[in-house]
Amino acid sequence: MKKEITKYYPLIPVFAAYLLLFLIGRNISGMWQLVAMLLFYCALGQAFNIFLGMTGYVDFGYVAFMGIGTYGMALAITKLAHIEGLGIGIIIIGFILALLMSTLLSVAVGAVALRLRGAYFAIATIGVNEGFRFLIEGARIWNGSEGLIFTAQLNEILGREAASSLMTYWADIMVLIIAALAAFVTLYYMRSKIGYALTALREDEDAAKVMGINVTKYKIIAFITSACFAGLVGATSWALKTPYVFPPEVFEIHYTIEAIIIVLLGGAGTLLGPVAGGLIYGISKYYLAIFMPGFQLLIFAPIIIIIIVLFPEGVVGMLKYRLKDSALARFII
Amino acid sequence: MLLEQLSGNLIQGIILGAVYGMATMGLSLIFGVLKVVNVGHGAFIMVGAFVTLWLFNALGINPIIALPGAFVIGMGLGLIFYYTTMQRLIKAPELATLLATFSIGILLEELVKLIFGSEFRGYNWVVGKIDIGVTVLPLSKLYACIGSVIIALLLYLWFKKTRAGSAIRSVVEDSEGARVCGVNVGGAYALSFALGIGLTVSSGVLLTMFIPVGINPYMGGGYTLKAFVIAVLGGLSSPYGAFFGGLVFGLIENGSYTLFALIPGVEPFALTRFLSFVILLAILLIKPTGLLSTK
Amino acid sequence: MKRNYLKTAMIFFACFGFLLATNALAAPKKIVIGHPACLSGKYAKAGEQAIGGVKACIDWVNNVYGGVQVAGKKLPLAYKYYDCESKKEAVTSLIARLITVNKVNVVFSAYSSGLTLRGAPVAESHGMLYMDHGGANNKIFRQGFKYIVQTIGPATNYHQGTLNMIQKVDPKAKKVALAYEDSEFAKMVMHGAEGHAKKLGFNVVFKRTYPKGVTDLTPLLSALKASKPDFIIGGGHFEDGQLFNRQMADLDIDVKALSLIAAATLPAFYKALTSMAEGVMGPSHWEYGVKYSVEEAKKVGLNWIGPDQDEFVALFKKALGKEIIPDYHAAEAGAQVLAYVLAVEKADSLDTRKVRAALGDLTFMSFYGGWDVDDTGLQVGHSMVDVQWQMGKRIIVWPKEAQTGDVAYPMPTFAEKARGKVALPR
Repeated sequence: MKKEITKYYPLIPVFAAYLLLFLIGRNISGMWQLVAMLLFYCALGQAFNIFLGMTGYVDFGYVAFMGIGTYGMALAITKLAHIEGLGIGIIIIGFILALLMSTLLSVAVGAVALRLRGAYFAIATIGVNEGFRFLIEGARIWNGSEGLIFTAQLNEILGREAASSLMTYWADIMVLIIAALAAFVTLYYMRSKIGYALTALREDEDAAKVMGINVTKYKIIAFITSACFAGLVGATSWALKTPYVFPPEVFEIHYTIEAIIIVLLGGAGTLLGPVAGGLIYGISKYYLAIFMPGFQLLIFAPIIIIIIVLFPEGVVGMLKYRLKDSALARFII
Repeated sequence: MLLEQLSGNLIQGIILGAVYGMATMGLSLIFGVLKVVNVGHGAFIMVGAFVTLWLFNALGINPIIALPGAFVIGMGLGLIFYYTTMQRLIKAPELATLLATFSIGILLEELVKLIFGSEFRGYNWVVGKIDIGVTVLPLSKLYACIGSVIIALLLYLWFKKTRAGSAIRSVVEDSEGARVCGVNVGGAYALSFALGIGLTVSSGVLLTMFIPVGINPYMGGGYTLKAFVIAVLGGLSSPYGAFFGGLVFGLIENGSYTLFALIPGVEPFALTRFLSFVILLAILLIKPTGLLSTK
Repeated sequence: MKRNYLKTAMIFFACFGFLLATNALAAPKKIVIGHPACLSGKYAKAGEQAIGGVKACIDWVNNVYGGVQVAGKKLPLAYKYYDCESKKEAVTSLIARLITVNKVNVVFSAYSSGLTLRGAPVAESHGMLYMDHGGANNKIFRQGFKYIVQTIGPATNYHQGTLNMIQKVDPKAKKVALAYEDSEFAKMVMHGAEGHAKKLGFNVVFKRTYPKGVTDLTPLLSALKASKPDFIIGGGHFEDGQLFNRQMADLDIDVKALSLIAAATLPAFYKALTSMAEGVMGPSHWEYGVKYSVEEAKKVGLNWIGPDQDEFVALFKKALGKEIIPDYHAAEAGAQVLAYVLAVEKADSLDTRKVRAALGDLTFMSFYGGWDVDDTGLQVGHSMVDVQWQMGKRIIVWPKEAQTGDVAYPMPTFAEKARGKVALPR
């Protein structure tokens, strides 16, 4: 029994960080939207880490899953808004649709791309993301490049006040819940057979195969889980917080890069890493934007290079190593 | 009518494809030798474009003469980035090298923005054009195409005939084996990285001969994506493969437009892009060694 | 060892707390305009211009106009801006900071329709007036936001003036080709233009889009050439406009008129293309050389406020410390400052609701031209001008009231231009 509980100790620092963020946002005026941005980055990092951290595969087209999730929510709202009495139910349908669509896409992508490794995999996923965007624009699916704008529908369904608080507060709470859920799932996977199998895979895929581990199955499980969380993040952080979708914005490859930076800063494959990475990334960008408007990228790029060269394991990776034999070790993985 | 348009587009496609192919050779060379995907590829093309622009507008030097200058600058940049960053990351996981090259790209973009500003620029090099009936070909485009072919040939000869070239080839085949045979593997890495960047920067010169407008610090992104597709067409690790991949890509991009335009209610131009990524995936799945390989 | 980490963590949080505390200091007794500007990223060019325009007009209001008259006192304007990096995550957090920490009285939107939409719910939830000088999408104003007001004109209007002009100048030119970028903004312009063209009896012989970030337009242009249009309207942003013009020249596509949105009106366009840009036109919200003046305002019965054109340009250069001529991004941001000042004085209050109501009733003219919004906040009082490159200079050729010269029509062919012929009105 006791062992069951200690298994989940590493969640404590993660949840403590989220709680602290929540309290800062609630109690200090003007901080909520900053907290919302940080939560977005943490959630993005955690969702991305489930696949990248555990398998070592770099999914460069990851943002496609966020995009498809955004479309899921957007379609639910725009297509069902005229039905009376659905109310908040539409949001739930939207989440289901977002999950469904990101699962479908990830199964399709997984079936194709997961046969590839290393750089080939990374390039294939870029291909999926770009190809999908051009398909939507070219074949004029879901209103093509004009996209969908649906604040008016949200107002209509929920009423102006409720819609406004959804866009500026509850959507962020949902991101918080998603981030926490992602942390939980990450830990669950780490401590189960999936985690061990994937660790073996990350170290040496061929050896793992020879040992009789069904590598493909676990890879796909991690891939789909990660994609589903991306879909949920898209559905909340983009569709609900910003009720519009324009294809070039939701398939913008830059978000994948941000996810990679966050995971790498914090430490790939660790539980606390994406949270630490998201916080460092978000806070430093925010204050650079405030104190040195216009120069943040110029300062940021060399910093990233230095970090990669000097601390390839990330902040948490380094911390984990240093704390190896101390009492804190079981809180940080 | 349709046939006329199609043939015109295909001719344009071959010329453009040669330039695209040349613009991808650096990427393939670096991947082939160092197993590093240079995500900042487009930024180096951008550097080449700015070199040409500056030499032409400030000093009146024509782009053909700018070519060797750009190559030298590119080699220099390559050596700097190799010894400060890449050298330490050769053995690191993909993640680190992807992010490092990406950051190098951002750094270059922001530096160029700091010096030249974010204005969209261009230059006007008038050399005339020839009308071949189905389409019109400006001579500057033809020169760019010929330049690309010559550079590809020179690279081929360099690999085949020189000591350094065969050393690099041996590293591509088997870096451990090469080390045992007394090849300076570290040196080969540095040389190929510098050569790859040099080729990429000089391809920026050729690309501006093809399209001498819209030059700005962020112009590289689109070329990076194109280069990925082309590199895969050619098998990712072979510079000559990349050159032929470029030709195929140019034909597909320009040729398919006319065909997609026959479908009502769609945007044919976006679909040509869609098609190129479909082909990318298909090749990765069916023949990841590239179209040309016999493996 | 452990203590070390504790210490670093404590220092980190102390710094964080210190930053929070310093933020809470807000200066009283002035009216503050907040702006999550796009100083870097893809909209950096427009963002820099907007900042210059806002600074120039604030300078004028404080030093020439003498401050804003409200509740019996003259209050100076202040300006607080951050860099949103042209990204939506930053826009919301910076707007919230501007409102709650910097206690601004009005928020100016970031550039582009997407970023404007992103910030709107946050501004709205704080009951903050949100003024849009960079989002042209008409749909923004159909979403039911109460406190949003537009200064930039709606996208559907961009090419309507051009079509009117061509119908006037050459009634025989009937065949029009539309070729726009595949983006929400350019598509909206295209819809507006297509509807208007049909209304005027034009025959749309070609209608296609090209994707964002395109590097070669040859296939589209070959198809366009085959449709043999009398004139072409199209475009999207900056680099694609240059590419469009350049490749038309490469392919020898000669038409009587070519009008491109966004790109063609900027000085960089001519600098990049030189003689090839002769005779090319573009619609613009504002251009250096427009004839709006105190007398003009009197003639049409509107109030006048603000610096005249040359004063504005001088203030703009001073604000940025650079020798550049402002373009319409600067002018619309500057005019927005003036609209806000007038509305505050009219409402005699800084209360959002009252200022918003005053903005709804407000009509005036400034160096930027007319200003008037409808109930939803959509700009309806500002008319666009059409600019043409003639002998390397931008000449306003349409509408008649604003023109600084006649239109050169038809445009010389590319072969003629290569031989040095310039576009001059007959």
